[in-house]
Amino acid sequence: MKTSEIFTSNLPVGEKLSVKRTRFEPKSVDNKKMKRISIVSGIHGDELEGQLVIYLLADWLNKNNDKLKGIVDIYPAVNSLGVDTITRGFPLYEVDLNRTFPGSANEFLPGQVVYALANDVKGSDIAIDIHSSNIFLREIPQIRINKEYSKSTLALAKELNCDFIWIHDAVTVLEATFSHTMNSMGTKTLVVEMGVGMRLTKEYGNQLLIGILNLMKKEGIIECEEEFTVRTPFSSEIGDVFYLNAPKSGLFVPALDHCAIIKEGDKIGDIVDPLTGTIYSTLKAPNDGILFTLREYPVVYEGSLIARIFGEKSGKN
Amino acid sequence: MEKIEILRIESLSRDPLVVEGYLFKGTNPNAPKIAIVGAMEGESILPLYCASTLVDFFKNKLEKEKLKGDVLIIPSINHYALNISKRFWPLDNTDINMMFPGYELGETTQRIAKKVFDALNGYDYGVILERRPDPATCLPYIKLYKSGYEDLLAAKKFGFKLIHHRTMKSIDTVTLQYNWQLWGTKAFSIMCPSDNQVDKKVASQINQAIIRFMDKSKILNYHIFNGYESTVMDRNTISVVKSAKSGIFISKELPGNYVSKDQVIGEIVHSLEGNVIHQFLAPCNGMVTCFYSNSLIFEHAVAFRIAKIG
Repeated sequence: MKTSEIFTSNLPVGEKLSVKRTRFEPKSVDNKKMKRISIVSGIHGDELEGQLVIYLLADWLNKNNDKLKGIVDIYPAVNSLGVDTITRGFPLYEVDLNRTFPGSANEFLPGQVVYALANDVKGSDIAIDIHSSNIFLREIPQIRINKEYSKSTLALAKELNCDFIWIHDAVTVLEATFSHTMNSMGTKTLVVEMGVGMRLTKEYGNQLLIGILNLMKKEGIIECEEEFTVRTPFSSEIGDVFYLNAPKSGLFVPALDHCAIIKEGDKIGDIVDPLTGTIYSTLKAPNDGILFTLREYPVVYEGSLIARIFGEKSGKN
Repeated sequence: MEKIEILRIESLSRDPLVVEGYLFKGTNPNAPKIAIVGAMEGESILPLYCASTLVDFFKNKLEKEKLKGDVLIIPSINHYALNISKRFWPLDNTDINMMFPGYELGETTQRIAKKVFDALNGYDYGVILERRPDPATCLPYIKLYKSGYEDLLAAKKFGFKLIHHRTMKSIDTVTLQYNWQLWGTKAFSIMCPSDNQVDKKVASQINQAIIRFMDKSKILNYHIFNGYESTVMDRNTISVVKSAKSGIFISKELPGNYVSKDQVIGEIVHSLEGNVIHQFLAPCNGMVTCFYSNSLIFEHAVAFRIAKIG
């Protein structure tokens, strides 16, 4: 295990900004080309679920170094200043690093940081970028795949012990993300979304750890007797994602648990006004399905996302 | 003048957000029409000031018969952010200028963008007063994307010193300028320094440029002094000077100043010990177009941009 700095910049007052990577590799190396996997998190400073997964993985690798046959690189906190200050974007510049790729050495500082990351991860066979939704929404463990790269990444996604694979259309803004940049450079890259911002969900962390170990075993990056049993995810190939946005501003009070199986017409929650004791709106499921996204932060404006439901195609979307 | 309510959004705890446009009808229905958008972000004080003083100009200072085409001015869209000194939409920190053309069933800022975009649709010309995205003090200039829809000749009618004719990034496809152009409006962004203080001289330059443009485009009949014959710049003609050290940054030159190669243009002072630890030398003969506006500078940050001459 070796920790290095992939990017450093002195800060104005007695401190240094650094983005760190730890590399795990086998003690004895034969001449065969080793596979390499990179696990990235903290591109958004307020998302911490990936830090737990990476900790669990590093702990496993420390205890099972003899099983390692490839290279595992971990980058727990890409936006390290943001992680430490509960800031989603890059502090001072207020930019979303995941809309700044591929960056360049000549750009502003956030552009230099993402450029350094992309160049360091470049050459990996697989990369996994772990996000935790944001502070507003709670997500079940899911993989998001851009349709453009689904041929090469869908099979890998199925190994990751997640509950849902969401294949979404190519949207131009997503070209500025880590995953698009790495996929276009030839590294098969998957995006995991799970849990909620600023928090850790231990069960999800353990679930994804099993998935990553399973994928690494299938890819020959680790060799071990241990069997990693993974769940079969449901996939957006066979259904539709329904969005529920707030019709009114107010305080959202959920009526269901996250990840519930629901029927059309089930009550998802109310939007209320505490000042007058009024219910502004009662939100009901537009379709049968599974509630895979649920609002966590209760203050809503008209339009705020309340829930996403995955269900059978019904022509309502 | 007609005040138009463009959108209204209720809030759990605040007054509703009410965005209004000021519509000034011209005397000639066949004359070109123009819409001007002020502060889309909070902290966009100069765009807010410029747009509101333009409202004052059309409302109180211009003789009505001199206005030929319709003018719509929306001085501010994101009052919620301006009132609490936040940059983006205060609840979820999303940037309205990354939500165009908007979506009426989408998230809050997508809905805001949609209603604003509906109000702006159909104008011949569009002006967006934009704050620079990075902490930088700059000369005001036109930013025009190389989108295939842009009108570079028309951009020169503003008479700014510089036009930054910029290669598009994928992220630019969700901006107002691009989408406005896509829908047939000749749209231009006027880039303003990101300072939070009103510089009346810079504000006056911007408003004169907008009035000059309107006069030359026959929206107004109001002759003012000519501006510059704009120089069109792109990435290749701008030299980027990055900071070799971190510390307290002091610029010795202002945007618009001409500098010679190897001239000292700024310095960095050690933030704890007070000595000068770095001097910035101009890498070429040129004109300073912008410098980093925060007094504490990171190592590797872009400190100056210089338009090359000679």
